[in-house]
Amino acid sequence: MSLPIQAAGLRRSFGDLVAVDGVDLEVREGEIFGFLGPNGAGKSTTVRMLTTLLRPTGGWARVAGHDVVTDADLVRRSIGVALQDAAIDPLMTGNELLRLQATLHGIGRIEAKRRGAELLERVGLTAAGDRRVGGYSGGMRRRLDLALSLVHAPAVLFLDEPTTGLDPMSRIALWEEVRSLNAENGTTVLLTTQYLEEADQLAGRIAIIDRGRIVSEGTPQTLKAQVGAPTLVLRVDAGHRDEARAVLSGRFGTERPAPTPEAIAVGLDGGAGAVADVVRVLDELGAELEAMELHEPSLDDVFAEATGRRLEGAEEATTDGDDEGGTEPAAEGRRGRRRRGGTS
Amino acid sequence: MTATSPTPTAAGLTRPVGPAAGVVPVALALIRRSLLGTVRIPATFIPMIVMPLFFVIAFGGAFSSVTLLPGFPTDNILNWVAPFSVLQGASFAGFGSAFGAGRDLENGFFDRLLLAPSPRLALILGALGYSALRAFVPTVIVVSAVLLTGATVPGGVLAIAVLLLAAMGVAVSAGLWGLGVVYRTRTQRSGGLIQVGIFTAMFLSVGLVPLSQMEGTWLYWAARVNPITAVLGMARSGFVGDVTVDAVLPGVGALAAMIGLLGWFAWRGFRRLEG
Ligand SMILES: Nc1ncnc2c1ncn2[C@@H]1O[C@H](COP(=O)(O)OP(=O)(O)OP(=O)(O)O)[C@@H](O)[C@H]1O
Ligand SMILES: [Mg+2]
Repeated sequence: MSLPIQAAGLRRSFGDLVAVDGVDLEVREGEIFGFLGPNGAGKSTTVRMLTTLLRPTGGWARVAGHDVVTDADLVRRSIGVALQDAAIDPLMTGNELLRLQATLHGIGRIEAKRRGAELLERVGLTAAGDRRVGGYSGGMRRRLDLALSLVHAPAVLFLDEPTTGLDPMSRIALWEEVRSLNAENGTTVLLTTQYLEEADQLAGRIAIIDRGRIVSEGTPQTLKAQVGAPTLVLRVDAGHRDEARAVLSGRFGTERPAPTPEAIAVGLDGGAGAVADVVRVLDELGAELEAMELHEPSLDDVFAEATGRRLEGAEEATTDGDDEGGTEPAAEGRRGRRRRGGTS
Repeated sequence: MTATSPTPTAAGLTRPVGPAAGVVPVALALIRRSLLGTVRIPATFIPMIVMPLFFVIAFGGAFSSVTLLPGFPTDNILNWVAPFSVLQGASFAGFGSAFGAGRDLENGFFDRLLLAPSPRLALILGALGYSALRAFVPTVIVVSAVLLTGATVPGGVLAIAVLLLAAMGVAVSAGLWGLGVVYRTRTQRSGGLIQVGIFTAMFLSVGLVPLSQMEGTWLYWAARVNPITAVLGMARSGFVGDVTVDAVLPGVGALAAMIGLLGWFAWRGFRRLEG
């Protein structure tokens, strides 16, 4: 049986640093698979191995049924790749780049022209096709890069952090594009991201990677369900606070850390359905309910559960000099290079 | 092979695989891209034009008295220094493709090329084709300048053709040397190292003084073993007399040897990129 993407024990070290440490992957035909992890987790290194750009130092991987090392050329013919840096020659126009990309993929001139026009239309760059890429905005570059990766109608598409650095509008536009590609052409997509929301919104299944290892894997729903109960946060009048806290945590689940001292937070074992009972019990106690919110478990909770750290805000934490986020200094360097690459 | 071939999938169905790309179209497309880049930043052209002219003028002035040496093959110093200046310019021009590859490696564009399902050779040939084309610039500039001064080229059109061939060979060799370094360092900042290598090779040849005048010095031995000496002999033959087989053959042999050796060096470097 061959899956679009399959890897076992995939490993890559750079000297002493083990960037990817035994990754097992099975991506199914026609799905959008999300690879979620913080800076330096090993996302790009994994993608580079799967796309034949980097030789694994251990394990194996097959893409579109072909071994990435021994049949690299067949793999290249089956995949589209938009790398993290979206490297595009600033001196060339969108049309010229599309034509070059088509030639690189063995597509003839006439077909290339037709495909190019169609793809520019698709990503909304028809009007900018004859402008030099150097003058494109970040979002336009990403969309052009996506179009380039689709020139040869690949069966499997790799997108490495396709929306990093984009404004929310451009991000959502790109999500739409990926969704429709997947829905219309059945293209299998593996995308990496550091954004919880992106993985949640876009991916049918996700793998969370941290320090080179996959720490959990599944659909966003099942992963969140594994974290368990949603958290109910509420506030009652000060007079009934302690009593309410004791009763609620005794009857509905376990008490959780609350955002403020006045609030009460309880993991609701019965899920959202138990909220009505909570309200009734508070009523029986004579407590006055001032505010109430139900938080579904997030992928950040999943990440926290697996690693003991939070993904959300990890980037800010590292720039503050707090290395809770686990970012390697080298990863910072690579980010710097990415910025230069984008504007050169 | 350009036919699409089927790949078995999970469902036992067949999914077409995209076509493979041929060497020639890919190499040509890469040359085209480099030319576009040059045309769009014309400033990169200026040193290619100015440098060989500077050599002609500087060497022509500084070494003008060598023509007075007994038995010196020509009495016009320009005929003596022009071929050397062209080869100097060609070595500089040839290095342009390595510079481009270094930039592509730095900003990630090179990954796009590596992801192409084309024979790897096409990527190197594309760079070398561009190097060879650039060799036209110093050749045309210097030959025009020499002819404008009223000098005559004894070997005629054939002499210019042989000079151009030598210039292209030198440009390709310089390109291969540069690519070999850039593939290993992955940055255009290694340009200094590349140029030192090229200029050392150029100067340790019989660039300016006839071999017979260097006898007894270490320079003589350096020039004797330096393949550029033979290439220069080839390039110069039609400028100081008739083009002769005796001059051209060793030159062609030296170019073949240089291209073979440096080609191996570049190819080894390229293979490392894929690790
Ligand atoms: N070519 C390389 N040489 C040395 N170390 C490398 C190389 N490429 C990656 N690394 C290191 O491997 C680790 C994983 O890097 P990788 O780029 O795969 O992370 P990532 O998950 O893609 O991070 P980001 O979100 O910042 O893109 C990092 O510590 C990085 O510094
Ligand atoms: Mg990355």
